[in-house]
Amino acid sequence: MALLEVNDLRVGYRIFEGTLNVLNGVRLSIDEGERVGLVGETGCGKTTTVKTILRVLPVPPAQVQGGEILYRGEDVLRMSARAARDLRRREVTAIFQDPLQALNPMFTVGTQLRDILKESRAGQDGGRLRRREIEKRCIAALQETGMPDPERIMTNYPSQLSGGMRQRICIAEALSREARLLLADEPTTNLDVTIQDQILRKLDELVDEKGTSVLMITHSMGVVRDLTQRLYIMYAGAMVETGKTKELLAQPRHPYTQGLMKSVPRLTGEGISDGIPGRIPNYLEPPSGCRFHPRCEHVMPVCKEAIPSFYPVDEDHFAACYLYRS
Amino acid sequence: MRQERKADFLATLAQRRRTLAKGWYKYSRNPLSVLGLVLLVLIGLAAGLAPHITPYPAQAGAYTDFKNAGRPPSGEHLFGTDRIGRDVFTRVIFGYRFSLLLGIVVLGLGVAPGVVLGLLAGYHRGTWIESVIMRVTDVFLAVPPLVLALAITAMLTPNLLNEMFAIALLWWPWYCRLVFAVSSSMRSQFFVREAELSGASEGHILFKEMLPNCLAPILTKMTLDMGIVILLGASLSFIGLGAQPPTPCLGTMVADGAKRLPGEWWSTIFPALAIVIVILAFNLVGDGLRDVFAVEEV
Amino acid sequence: MPESILSVEHLKKHFPTKQGLVRAIDDISFSMAPGDTLGLVGESGSGKTTTAQCVVGMYPPTSGEIRFKEESIGTAFKHRPKYIKGDLRIVFQDPGSSLNPKRTIKQILSVPLKVHGIGTRHDRLGRMKDLLNMVELPADEYLYKYPQAIGGGEKQMVALARALATNPSFILLDEPTSALDVSVQGKIINLLIRLQKELNLTYLFITHDLSLMRNVSSRVAIMYLGKLCEIAPTVEFFERPIHPYTNMLLSSIPVVSDEEEALKPKKVSSKGEIPSPVNIPPGCSFHSRCLAKNGRCAEDDPAMVEVAEGHFVRCHAALEADPTRFGSV
Repeated sequence: MALLEVNDLRVGYRIFEGTLNVLNGVRLSIDEGERVGLVGETGCGKTTTVKTILRVLPVPPAQVQGGEILYRGEDVLRMSARAARDLRRREVTAIFQDPLQALNPMFTVGTQLRDILKESRAGQDGGRLRRREIEKRCIAALQETGMPDPERIMTNYPSQLSGGMRQRICIAEALSREARLLLADEPTTNLDVTIQDQILRKLDELVDEKGTSVLMITHSMGVVRDLTQRLYIMYAGAMVETGKTKELLAQPRHPYTQGLMKSVPRLTGEGISDGIPGRIPNYLEPPSGCRFHPRCEHVMPVCKEAIPSFYPVDEDHFAACYLYRS
Repeated sequence: MRQERKADFLATLAQRRRTLAKGWYKYSRNPLSVLGLVLLVLIGLAAGLAPHITPYPAQAGAYTDFKNAGRPPSGEHLFGTDRIGRDVFTRVIFGYRFSLLLGIVVLGLGVAPGVVLGLLAGYHRGTWIESVIMRVTDVFLAVPPLVLALAITAMLTPNLLNEMFAIALLWWPWYCRLVFAVSSSMRSQFFVREAELSGASEGHILFKEMLPNCLAPILTKMTLDMGIVILLGASLSFIGLGAQPPTPCLGTMVADGAKRLPGEWWSTIFPALAIVIVILAFNLVGDGLRDVFAVEEV
Repeated sequence: MPESILSVEHLKKHFPTKQGLVRAIDDISFSMAPGDTLGLVGESGSGKTTTAQCVVGMYPPTSGEIRFKEESIGTAFKHRPKYIKGDLRIVFQDPGSSLNPKRTIKQILSVPLKVHGIGTRHDRLGRMKDLLNMVELPADEYLYKYPQAIGGGEKQMVALARALATNPSFILLDEPTSALDVSVQGKIINLLIRLQKELNLTYLFITHDLSLMRNVSSRVAIMYLGKLCEIAPTVEFFERPIHPYTNMLLSSIPVVSDEEEALKPKKVSSKGEIPSPVNIPPGCSFHSRCLAKNGRCAEDDPAMVEVAEGHFVRCHAALEADPTRFGSV
């Protein structure tokens, strides 16, 4: 059984002018110990997906219109609020793009880390941890993320630290809970490239050691290539392609993925394409059928009728496109 | 060439119309805001057409009819008559004239200088210009409004004009501060930098680039302020420092009638209600405007 | 020898702050020929944005010279003559705030035209339509829109149209596509390249994206903590990177294919954090993170030396030892 399985998830947001139908049948699965990437551009629904999995969507105005999210077989959407909170405490954890927003500027790093461990009930029989044990674990967590001088960092406030350090603290927070699944939403997008490199390599090391599963969400193809084994490409609220990361990047099949790969500037210097014509759809009145069809050069009449399902294009490689319907 | 200019004119007009339509859509979502607007329109029309729609326009000011004094509300006198025989209904409508006039003049006099000073202070943030303007503003704000108004009208002869002048003097600092807050944060936005780097004049930057972004809070505040100004004016008249009798001023009417409570309740209660309604109307409209200007987060 | 259109000599810009003196730019020199595209690359604290700001006149330099077409412009924009303001333009990074949200595109574009007295009232409309056509946006529709109604990429194109309004010869591009998705970036970059040829423009391109510069610039310069580390023509830069920081940067770039992976330097990996610009280490500012340092590095600040035609490096170790020790291609 997969650790996490999302089936046909549909989520919308109610606004003045109507409903934004953002997620349009999201499906993905992550196995125990697997590292999966989710690549998509601005507005495709990546963050909404993460928030829905964590059950932290602001429920009005958002509304889950259908689908299921199975964590070890249990539907997260139908759990009680308490069960969902327990899930967030112990099983599933997340790190986000802006560590300054994730960390409370009013409390020291030490206070925040200790608070998390106190609430995590990771002691024996699910009880609370003792103070000395908490302190030990906090320092250990910081050390593991490659932070120099963890004792001093514990006394600092987030605003006194650099972006890279803050993100390391968020990673320490996330991993200190010994969660089984880590959702990383653009964790290094705001960081300098040399720091990004260090953090990603450290993250790689840590999740390897603990056997944590990771869902790495980003808009950067290069980042997923190094870190993940499998990849999903997302567009306008649905997955359009999935497969083993390196193979998918080397041989993209879905027209959207192909357009993206042609737009990425390469170190080999062959120039970049003009990008993909058109804009992401208006979620108030999204295109019928495959939401990419207005921008697709291979569009066919059937594309407007219904969303294509995943058709196999290669071993362990699927594209949601009628071009591959055999 | 003329064709092109015509097309341009029509397109600009169409865009303005779209902006207004969108604004109205947002405003009309709340029925209370619409109610407020309706009330305001009615009051405004009534005040404007006062001489033509009131039953006894001549009784608005100096008039006495002791035979008819102190009559309760009836078919002939909707709100009854006051202690010297004047029709209260007529006086209330004329009273609205003065209240609205007070509001318009005060805001007209007070808002403009406040806004200009606020823009200057925000744009020149960090320099002596900002310091001077904001410290002067602070001084004015430190004095309690009613006390200052009292002092000024007491110094000059108490009449409507001086009342307006006194209140206007109180009002500009609030707008200065409001606009300063908005404009000083706007200072670092790229579009302001770009205008500067292009070589645009300071006047252009202040009034064409920064001011449109301040309009939303200014307009909302102006609407809500109308109510407060009217109340302040009524308070001044209530203690006898505003417009003097026989001018039909709502505050004075309340003061006069108060001596006769609870017996001749109509000469106090109706003017008081009139004050409440007009302030309520402005507040509802102000709230509605705030909804129009609110940016939606999705 | 082509005359240089922009030359920066020993430029310094220091900001006194409560924490100490921030040496944002600490003695840099470079020059650009007409038609050049110089990619100025650096991470946070490198001083690349401050350099752009000094060139365009947002700050007067603390010391040093900036010459534009042989004329000294080392002053704040307030004191620059108008024709310079029209000739040297900038496109900012954040499309969201570089266009006034309360003004239509027509009003936005009219500002530089009016300020520089371009055309009469009657021709201006035509001129604005021409500008929008140049950036491939449908003029009749877009003139009357507000910025919120158009996407990020399109906003940048309007910002570019605004920069072009005064017929400039030099445009400063401050991370113009950093905030945009990759599928939108291509169009703007290719547009910039095309316009450069058509209108004879020179670009100073500030960015942190080296892969992008590989495809866009004619020369690349790397900045670190206010100083230039290395500057070279593009192909030479990527084939023979010499400075240890350059190698660290190149090895950190996330790439998408095996061929690109093969091009990255092998024996270097990123370590350490960028020091705060208030506390710059003595000697070579990079030595605390450098894998190749020797005794001199902690004491003497190296000088810029030309190691090949147009290729300059500022590093003790690189010049004393064999340069191929750090670059592995």
